[in-house]
Amino acid sequence: MEKALSKIVEVTSDPYAYVAGLKDRTQKKIIGCFPMYVPEEIVHAAGLIPVVIWRGNESVTWGHAHVPAYDCGITRSFVDDAVRGKLSFMDGMVFHVRQCLQVGEFPLIMERNVKPAYQKILYLPPIYKGDSIKSFLLGDLESFKGSLEDFTGKKISDDNLKESIEIYNENRSLLERVYEIRREKPEILRAREVMQIVWSSMLMPKEDHNELLRELINGMEKKSVEPKKDRIKVIPVGCLCQTLQFDILDIIEDLGMIIPDDDLYVGSRYFANKVKLNGDPIEALADRYLVKTPLCPTKGVWDVDWGVEVIKQMKENDAKGIISIRVKYCPPHTCYYPDFKSKMVEEGVPEVMIEMEHEIISLEGVKTRLQSFVETIGGV
Amino acid sequence: MGTEYKINKLDTSGVGPLVDRHWNELREAKDKGMKIAWCSGPMFIYPYATPNIASHFMAGYAAYCGGRGMGDEVLEAAERFGEMRDTCSYHRLHTGMAAMIMNDWPVSNPQVILPTPDLLIGGRFCTEMSHYMEAIHRRFGMKTVTIELPSARSRDDLPRLEKFVTNQVKETLIPAIEEVSGSKFDEENMRNIFRSWKEACIIRNKCWEFFKRKPTPWTLWDYGVSIAPIFYAMGKPESLEYYQDLLKQLEERVEKNIPAVHPDGEKYRLYWDGWLPWSFLGKVLRIMVPHGAIPIAGRYPWEFFSHPDDIDPEADDIIHEWIRLIYTSPNTLSYYDGPWGGQDKIEELIETYSIDGMLFFSSKTCRMWNLGQQEIIDNIEKKYGIPGVVIDGDMIDSTMFAEDQMRTRIEALLETIDARRK
Repeated sequence: MEKALSKIVEVTSDPYAYVAGLKDRTQKKIIGCFPMYVPEEIVHAAGLIPVVIWRGNESVTWGHAHVPAYDCGITRSFVDDAVRGKLSFMDGMVFHVRQCLQVGEFPLIMERNVKPAYQKILYLPPIYKGDSIKSFLLGDLESFKGSLEDFTGKKISDDNLKESIEIYNENRSLLERVYEIRREKPEILRAREVMQIVWSSMLMPKEDHNELLRELINGMEKKSVEPKKDRIKVIPVGCLCQTLQFDILDIIEDLGMIIPDDDLYVGSRYFANKVKLNGDPIEALADRYLVKTPLCPTKGVWDVDWGVEVIKQMKENDAKGIISIRVKYCPPHTCYYPDFKSKMVEEGVPEVMIEMEHEIISLEGVKTRLQSFVETIGGV
Repeated sequence: MGTEYKINKLDTSGVGPLVDRHWNELREAKDKGMKIAWCSGPMFIYPYATPNIASHFMAGYAAYCGGRGMGDEVLEAAERFGEMRDTCSYHRLHTGMAAMIMNDWPVSNPQVILPTPDLLIGGRFCTEMSHYMEAIHRRFGMKTVTIELPSARSRDDLPRLEKFVTNQVKETLIPAIEEVSGSKFDEENMRNIFRSWKEACIIRNKCWEFFKRKPTPWTLWDYGVSIAPIFYAMGKPESLEYYQDLLKQLEERVEKNIPAVHPDGEKYRLYWDGWLPWSFLGKVLRIMVPHGAIPIAGRYPWEFFSHPDDIDPEADDIIHEWIRLIYTSPNTLSYYDGPWGGQDKIEELIETYSIDGMLFFSSKTCRMWNLGQQEIIDNIEKKYGIPGVVIDGDMIDSTMFAEDQMRTRIEALLETIDARRK
């Protein structure tokens, strides 16, 4: 278990070095997929390595010549990394430009300043009513597949795609198992380690990650942990499309709270819902995209209530409160938040919102808010 | 002593009554037994054409609140309800109004309150248009129908997107409007709207011709407020009458040699990118005019069906015709709203209207027009040698509008133009 964890920490501590090394080692092309809904399976089936683009760990400098300071952290950080040449190991990039307005910034900036050998724009539609949504989505995915075939000069067969889907589904099952064990023994891993486990899945070839997860799970199943009954269970929610600052997770735990489950993108949302393989693989990928839960405010779902879903998750985990992590300048989350908050108030669920910026000015304010929150829900 | 420049505004006072009539009709609709639809994006045409349902559209209401100085009060209500300033101010205007209605909060100007809708129509031109519809739906629970309207990143994508949007309109939007209004969508009504609207757009384009003149007899701001008749009175004779009057004024000005800027016309002809700053039109103009600078053209005000000859009221499929105008017609609003198409359109405007410099208005809360602005400035500067700057602010929200910052950047742009002229 420790060996697997140490590898995961290594991968996520310097994703730039890891992915660049991966390219050298495998001699395969790297395709950066901007989070959250690019179907990586198609890239994998093309014989390429899909990697989910991440928020860097440095302050934005050159990037501000291309995007305004009032864009969200991952937008500014990714553009900064790209124009500074830090992502030169990426042979291609894929953007779902209808996810939010800020993603729409990237293709022109990349085309002018980075010139990846392959760039693809996906329009993946929101989950609105009507058959036209699915048929357009299928067209988009077919076009994605076709563009990768053109790029590699190799056809992607249904069998290639089914094989990739199976590998990805296995990864989802293994991550689910990690989460199951965490629910049974929440003390077994630090929250930052859990996030690193999921993040490493976004960076590593899934075959390698599956192997690592099997080793990790084996260790987790065997390891006995002394339950700390005074810990208060909380569920972090939000932080769409980017990693949360690990320091915030540490503060949550250091204040006497514990996280048995989450509703975070670099968390349970990433591996939720398997691809149901019982026919055409492209259609199966489309069907996974069209699942409305876990609710994502970028997908235009207005007949499922995010608050209700999260409260259900909180109760299933016997948790006492919700910590919303809202990324500064993330309109999808921010537009939803007032109603989410109202639902929490209406249902008497303790909830606090932490605003996260790429460049943290001070964690003291975050700590104070969380301190008063934990006192409110009965901690020390 | 330099020249003392002053603005000589065109008489656009005819817009006010048209705007008031539109909103009053909406307020009175329920008393007449009609249903109400709130629309975001360009889907308002379909309820317009259907009997027994009156419709509002999002950007129009925002411009109305901003132009009448009513925006701040509604934005404050939104904030009191829990909305945050990161979100689009048009979103907050609507959720603020909804909060005022839900909580029965006192309002100093009752004109900001609109009747609650029976139907929400979300045309997701920008993603936040969907968020605002979803939020209103969650708060009031009325029937909602949403249509995905992606802006095209490439001309090659236009036919596919057009087909997709048309299918959605036929599959979900028209049935929803018919269900709520209890009336059949009336194709002949839509053709009549198109006929009259086409005539108005043809006259409007004749007015645009006057922007080519040096000195110009009018400014982009005069035209900006004149967008309203195209929407508020779409398909009505008042719209045509308004533009006929505008054309007459422009012809008179040219005949009498009256420029938009006294005493002898503009010194700098500027391109304006992005939304117009509805709440701050006067303030911005007062920064520019003392230098002899005025805005002449802009991508946004030119997106309203710039090729009226291409509008076909007799099209076989009139439902599809509106979508065609947004996608594959020469107007291709969908492509020009995106960064690549935007650049093409800006180049066209720069060449047509002899532009000296570019102002890119970057809204801190609406990122739709902001996409690629800094790249576009760079590209155009290299191609045409015309300088540009980004000025940031907001269309409505006065807490995000810093006049001094704007003054400094505009003055810097004008100095750059001067330096390049030497």
